[in-house]
Amino acid sequence: MSDTAIQRPSTLVRVGDRVRSERVRDPRPRRIPEHWWGYVLVAPAVLMLVALILYPVAYSFWVSLHHKHAYLPIQTWAGLSNFHFFLFEDPEFWRSLKLGAIYAFGSVTLQVIVGVAAALLLNQTFIGRGFVRALALFPYMLPTIVVVILMRWIFNDSYGVLKFVLEASGLVDRAYVWFEPDNIMLTLILVSTWTFFPFVLISVLARLQTISPELYDAAKVDGAGLVARFWHVTLPQIANVLFVVVLLRFMFMFTKFDLIYLFAGAGGLGTFVRTLPIYTFVKSFGELQVGMGAALSAIMFMMLAAFAALYFRIFRRDESL
Amino acid sequence: MTQDPTAPPLSRLAVYGFAALLAFLCGFPLLWMVLTSIKPDREILTAIPTFWTTQPTLGAYRRLFSETNFLTYFWNSIFVAGCATLLTILVATLAAYGITRFRFRGRETIAGTMLFTYMFAPIMIVVPFYILMRGAGLTNSHLGLILAYTTFSLPFSMWMLRSFFQSIPLELEEAAMIDGASRPKAVRLIIVPLALPGVIAVSIFTFIVAWNDYLFARVLIGTDNLKTLPVGIQDLYESTITDWGMVMAAGVMITIPALLFFLAVQRYLIAGWGTGGVKG
Repeated sequence: MSDTAIQRPSTLVRVGDRVRSERVRDPRPRRIPEHWWGYVLVAPAVLMLVALILYPVAYSFWVSLHHKHAYLPIQTWAGLSNFHFFLFEDPEFWRSLKLGAIYAFGSVTLQVIVGVAAALLLNQTFIGRGFVRALALFPYMLPTIVVVILMRWIFNDSYGVLKFVLEASGLVDRAYVWFEPDNIMLTLILVSTWTFFPFVLISVLARLQTISPELYDAAKVDGAGLVARFWHVTLPQIANVLFVVVLLRFMFMFTKFDLIYLFAGAGGLGTFVRTLPIYTFVKSFGELQVGMGAALSAIMFMMLAAFAALYFRIFRRDESL
Repeated sequence: MTQDPTAPPLSRLAVYGFAALLAFLCGFPLLWMVLTSIKPDREILTAIPTFWTTQPTLGAYRRLFSETNFLTYFWNSIFVAGCATLLTILVATLAAYGITRFRFRGRETIAGTMLFTYMFAPIMIVVPFYILMRGAGLTNSHLGLILAYTTFSLPFSMWMLRSFFQSIPLELEEAAMIDGASRPKAVRLIIVPLALPGVIAVSIFTFIVAWNDYLFARVLIGTDNLKTLPVGIQDLYESTITDWGMVMAAGVMITIPALLFFLAVQRYLIAGWGTGGVKG
């Protein structure tokens, strides 16, 4: 970053000056092949990544081919039977996929709408913009456990302030219950939108601020209104960023565990938002079938990879049009 | 900026209206948490909520500190997050320096792997990670958690520090070495000051990852005295008839460190965005 270099001019100028005079006499010396130093420095990081991420993931694929208990030393070869079970015999698996798709699709859609709208707003100049921007980032910075207890309190069906406000204003029917089987998904999606939309906001705002004002001036001269300017100037400019943001958010929401699990639990009401990550957790640490849990992890991994590949392929094709 | 001096007053009004709405939606829940935590009990469980309280009390905080294990959880969280942060800085800085300053086989592979591991969500790793840690006898220990958080923060930490190191011209270092400085001395005098913003950003991201994590702490830790905040608070919430004042007080207490780090990192947040420093 160039601006960081400016912060310490004294050091730089002093060293730099001497170098220039040095170089006149003695051309830049060949760097000694120190490549083994590179290995030494990188070794701890590589060791950790291999031992604690890549090996576990590979091992997880191996475990998914076994019947394995979480605590007892029971491990027998299962072949593909874990996968066969989920894909062909287990309605709960397909249900978790459906719920996961609803959750990911619903919350990503709302996050993008709210996030882009907020970014457009914060791209305007107004008094107090810095304050509003800081405040708008805050939901994303809150620890998940805080989001959960706070929202359980605000959405509380007996004493929640939201229920009171909505009822007093007549927006929501008096009988509406946020925490019941039919409604818990919507409640969860709203809470997720609240805490994750700042991710979209920041990503889009950073891009918006690089759009040249001349584009808007030109569009205005051509008589484009507010909507036309958004559609023909802003949207094409932020399309790339939106693409990546939607991809990342979808992947994050599809694999989201802590918020859902903490907010709704694994049993009871939680079964109505039991997405694939929750189901994986239940199989592994509830039913102690880590072989099955590993199979679900493997399925999740393959779906994510396929999703990313498909997404990039569609995008490339669109781009060439 | 898309400020439009010729915009009609109505649209200026709309901008302020929406800005107020956004500030309210994001700020009110936080305000409500603080207010609930200082209200006396009888003002908390009411059908018609009162906004302000006439009798603020720290009773909920007193209960939190004296009747629960909160302080233990708090120090556990500080300890685990602090250790994970130090370890991440050490390992990631060495690696990023090695990758940017030395040519060696496999350098590109390592950079690619950093991105690849970004695909893995915690839930996909936790099962084999748990089996691994149990085999190593590290379940129910803080060391297991520290290793988990460090590993999880490493890819983006290395990625981010790599881009910081890349922006520091090699010539600066070479100049110092020509002047007679040893490589360690050159690193200390030239690289460290220039890369400091990157190191700070990485340490804050790591701290927040460790501070917020629920999944690994839930799976790896069983003993109450070893629990970190998210797990401890969850159990507190589930174990009794919910004492909302106390739960909100706990929320405030967990938020304060996160808030301090957030304020410190705000400047670097944008830099971290482009390099994938933010995940979740």
